[in-house]
Amino acid sequence: MKKVAYVLIGLAVFVVLWEGYKLVGNPEGTVVLGVRILPRADDLSMPHLWTVIERLSRPEMTGGRPVWIVVISACLFTLGITAAGFVIGALVGLLLAVAMQRFRIVERGLLPYVILSQTVPLVALAPLVAGWGGTIMPAWMTVSVIAAYLAFFPVAVGMLRGLQSPGSAGVELMRSYAAGWWRTLVKLRFPASLPYLFPALRLAGAAAVVGAVVGEISTGTRGGIGRLIIEYSREATSDPAKVYTAMLGAALLGLVVAGLVSLLELPLMRHRRHVEVVTL
Amino acid sequence: MTAVSVSSVSKIFNQGRTDEVVALSDIDLEIKTGEFVSLIGPSGCGKSTLLRLIADLIAPSTGTITVAGKTAGAARKEQAYGIAFQQAGLFEWRTVLKNVELPLELRGLSRAERKAKASEMLALVGLEEFAGHYPAQLSGGMQQRVAIARALAVQPPLLLMDEPFGALDEMTRERLQSELLAICAKTGTSTVFVTHSISEAVFLSNRVVVMSARPGRITASIDISLDSRDEAGRQSPHYFECVTSVRQALRGSPLKSAS
Repeated sequence: MKKVAYVLIGLAVFVVLWEGYKLVGNPEGTVVLGVRILPRADDLSMPHLWTVIERLSRPEMTGGRPVWIVVISACLFTLGITAAGFVIGALVGLLLAVAMQRFRIVERGLLPYVILSQTVPLVALAPLVAGWGGTIMPAWMTVSVIAAYLAFFPVAVGMLRGLQSPGSAGVELMRSYAAGWWRTLVKLRFPASLPYLFPALRLAGAAAVVGAVVGEISTGTRGGIGRLIIEYSREATSDPAKVYTAMLGAALLGLVVAGLVSLLELPLMRHRRHVEVVTL
Repeated sequence: MTAVSVSSVSKIFNQGRTDEVVALSDIDLEIKTGEFVSLIGPSGCGKSTLLRLIADLIAPSTGTITVAGKTAGAARKEQAYGIAFQQAGLFEWRTVLKNVELPLELRGLSRAERKAKASEMLALVGLEEFAGHYPAQLSGGMQQRVAIARALAVQPPLLLMDEPFGALDEMTRERLQSELLAICAKTGTSTVFVTHSISEAVFLSNRVVVMSARPGRITASIDISLDSRDEAGRQSPHYFECVTSVRQALRGSPLKSAS
């Protein structure tokens, strides 16, 4: 109940800010010393929210499907790509983290490259990956690969930190039980890493969405929300509300992915829920 | 029967480097089955190191250690001892019952056997009502009791304890001492107990082994024979005599009579 109220308050604040700025902001934007520090507030740059909502219900083009259906189906398409990328990225990240925990030399050798991987600009990488489409994998899959490329990083780094988190007491205890590396991993290191894994997965979820949206654009894949944003933005001068409908869709997609990821957390973090200490 | 036999053991950390530390030198120690032995000494005397050597958590530089007639390594692989540290070290994601079940799980016991045995151990430390709680919900003393129950779960012939009551307040500490004695009497376990409290060592032990630092050596071994280990035992003249002789051994010289 409380959560619903917070969501509604958040939405209301956004609406007030948007419409309030439109009311008081300079339609030409505020320019100081040649730099625009506040955006234009005219209807072309910032359409009224009700115009955007109303645009959703009208057809995309004359006689076409309503915009909201187009946006939702594009979101679902991208959601599929994101999910595939997220799963691949999370698995790769997990495996890398386990390998780095197991062998110190792998950590030393690999970790710099893991970090380096994120400094490669996506626009440089995308055409290379796009070339794989239609030959070794379907075209949509190349976008998933780009999403996975962004998603694996937080998981690898966060999970490594988590696997290394048990103190010597826990490790010695497992040793006293004659548990080998694998059983120590399963009984101690994995459960201990969960508080590190979930924030990493949330970051990975967000990264996968960004990767999917940007990947669609730079590989030229059709049917997703990233592509839709580009298509609608070309009509921005004649139909400014249209591009905002697509952006709304992208925002919604991000929220849905974040929500799904945090659902994973519920069954696994039960012990964090009760905190009242019994003092006897 | 000897539960633990340590013969001419030494332990040098970082051997051959500039930060080389001789933690233990030429240690000989025999612990009989069913005996309760305390290791006491100033910090840095290597008492915890000696316990870790017996537990085969670290390897000795020279000398041999046998536990129940086997090498320390073989004894560890058979889970021939239970261990408890100063920090309870419970797994926060497991309930109290599941924590106690952990060593049984690793031994491959069936679910029903594990549950029965773990519940029994929790009853022994008086925490059966808290089986479903998570460690974070318990106070420090209760967590420590869970850790002891976990150490006892496999009903080991040998119990190794590294200042298990060190982080507790005096009241809880005395209560747990009595509980520990009752449990040891009931199960007939041999115990090696590391502490820096003289009164605790005297109250609990059949024998107090006094160690000195740099290099860690055994300087004295004092037999204690209290008539009773209860409130009366804590007040008896013999108890205070023993406390005094342990204190003298720790100082390395007889105390002045005024103290």
